[in-house]
Amino acid sequence: MKSTLSSAAISIATVAVARAAATAAPETERLLNSIRSKEDKVRCEAWQSAGGVGASALAPLAALMLDVDIEVARAARLAMEKIVHHAGRPAAASEARAVEAELVKLLRHDSPIIRRAVIWMLSEIASDDSIQPISALLADAQVREDARCALQRIPGDKSVTALRDAMRAAPEEFKYAIADSLRKRGQNVADYPTKKLIPTRSTQVQATPASSK
Amino acid sequence: MRYKNFRSISRRRFLGASAAALGGFTLLPSGVLAQPGRPGANDRIVVAHIGVGGMGNVHLSNMLQYQREGKVRIAAVCDVDESRLRAAVKTAGAGVEPYRDYRYILQRKDIDAVLIATPDHWHGVQTVHACESGKHVYVEKPSSVTIEEGNAMVAAARANKVAVQVGAQGRTGKGAWYTCRAIRNGIVGQVRSVECWHYANPVDDKPVPDSDPPASLDWDMWLGPLPWRRFNARYCPGVFRWFLESGGGQIRDRGAHQFSTILWCMNADKQTSFTVQAKGTPPSKGLWDCPVDMEVVYQFKDPDWTLVWGQPGNKVGKTEFGQVFRGANGSLILEWEGAYRGAEPDAINFKLPPGGQEVYRTAEYEDFNMNHKADWFKSIREGHLRPAVDIEIAHHTATLCILGNISYILGRKLVWDGQNQRVVGDEQANRLLSRPQRYPYVL
Repeated sequence: MKSTLSSAAISIATVAVARAAATAAPETERLLNSIRSKEDKVRCEAWQSAGGVGASALAPLAALMLDVDIEVARAARLAMEKIVHHAGRPAAASEARAVEAELVKLLRHDSPIIRRAVIWMLSEIASDDSIQPISALLADAQVREDARCALQRIPGDKSVTALRDAMRAAPEEFKYAIADSLRKRGQNVADYPTKKLIPTRSTQVQATPASSK
Repeated sequence: MRYKNFRSISRRRFLGASAAALGGFTLLPSGVLAQPGRPGANDRIVVAHIGVGGMGNVHLSNMLQYQREGKVRIAAVCDVDESRLRAAVKTAGAGVEPYRDYRYILQRKDIDAVLIATPDHWHGVQTVHACESGKHVYVEKPSSVTIEEGNAMVAAARANKVAVQVGAQGRTGKGAWYTCRAIRNGIVGQVRSVECWHYANPVDDKPVPDSDPPASLDWDMWLGPLPWRRFNARYCPGVFRWFLESGGGQIRDRGAHQFSTILWCMNADKQTSFTVQAKGTPPSKGLWDCPVDMEVVYQFKDPDWTLVWGQPGNKVGKTEFGQVFRGANGSLILEWEGAYRGAEPDAINFKLPPGGQEVYRTAEYEDFNMNHKADWFKSIREGHLRPAVDIEIAHHTATLCILGNISYILGRKLVWDGQNQRVVGDEQANRLLSRPQRYPYVL
């Protein structure tokens, strides 16, 4: 099954994976090779066992998320999520921080598909170290909503401060969403009342006329 | 019949007089019950349908029956798929207004109650919004996809004094009732374990690339609270069930039915703390990500018992899914959720022992779907606003389903503190109890 990614993006991804694989640890290399497999079973077993491979596999896996084969791309994302879930387990703080650091680097990736996926992965394990780089994406029209959601989810004062700071610079229509996040975090926001109950979508469908009853 | 001079009589007198005058069948508008003194449009409850595919069509059919019996009036239908909406408005008949955006319905003061049968990721948001708009709610199970949503739904129902019934019909079903009274009164002795069996989640064996949505579908509204992504034909309709973030698989679909009935039989609605450990086999391909096979073990304390979700599990009954209660003196099977299927003869023939505990069940209709709605209407009519599957009960059930999936996703055992609604000692798991929603589709 082929995706509809541009050939340029595919070329970049292929080069990135080749470079990463050339310098990767044997464990990572084995994982990447299995994720690239054409065999469903091999890919599936590979992503399931990715947790222990750790932070170093994240960048090459992210590149594989742009693979032309959607099954390979999907397996790569699942492998990344597995690494995040494994690193986030209790009493594994150093692993979590290593994974977080690699994910933060990927927030600058050219592809919004990867930036969006990484934001949500980070939202599960991010410490204060991730707040500034995620906040920077509030100015990125393609993923700003995901960045807002992540900041809403990440506990602590720094994420609240980042949302408050964003209220000053954000485009006017985006301020309503940020205000909602702040309220969800227990903050008082006087302006920008919720729009959640305001209908916006009308239909072309007509009611049945009485005569046709 | 129209009511006049509402301000001149008390709510209690009004309720009593109405019930007496109309033989107890009349349903009172929510505006009257929620805000004494505010006149309703007439003596029928006015309902609207949000989501009219799948179970939404069953609800519409039920309300048409209630309408023929003079108990409700259908005012509106809503769907984000115009082809479904067109079919529903035709079925509903003249005078029923179609909407794509459910919020138009919530703005209408003449509508007392809504029936929500949208994909699961919409249940929490739409229920909270309906409660905040003063509407009574019948919402499909599972009640929510996150713990945060479930808590918000309970809070919204209580704050706005409306009845929220969740569509797990077991607790008004005859089969579950026979089983419940037998189990609670010792037919198998003290129950130590309840084991469920259920067939597998399907594999997406025909994956397709992302594409443009069909012209009739408002994809943005379908996604609603979920993070934005391009349309894929394997998301909908119906197959949303096989995504962990939306439908949550069999454990959150049928599990919401079975767990609701089991907690009822075990008298365990207040046993909100437990441990949960899940394992499963993920699909090897395709867009759907719910595990094909799954085993989830829940341990409850004081009294001690174990609940096992088996997919496929150990099928000891005759039908596709069900559960077996195992006690010190034997075992008792219940097929399905005890509504669509009946009880075992041993349960039906069970005689309450002296001093035994009888169990209440609304029994107005033989049809279990109609009867479950009758129970909802009864809670409105009587003003107690606590139907058989009140949102608080349903939230406890959904919590079992949701945490089973989180344990599977994280690959570890979780210790759930129901009192504080937190996972003990697992920060990542606690972050997964909520999923911030895409604006403006927010709680």
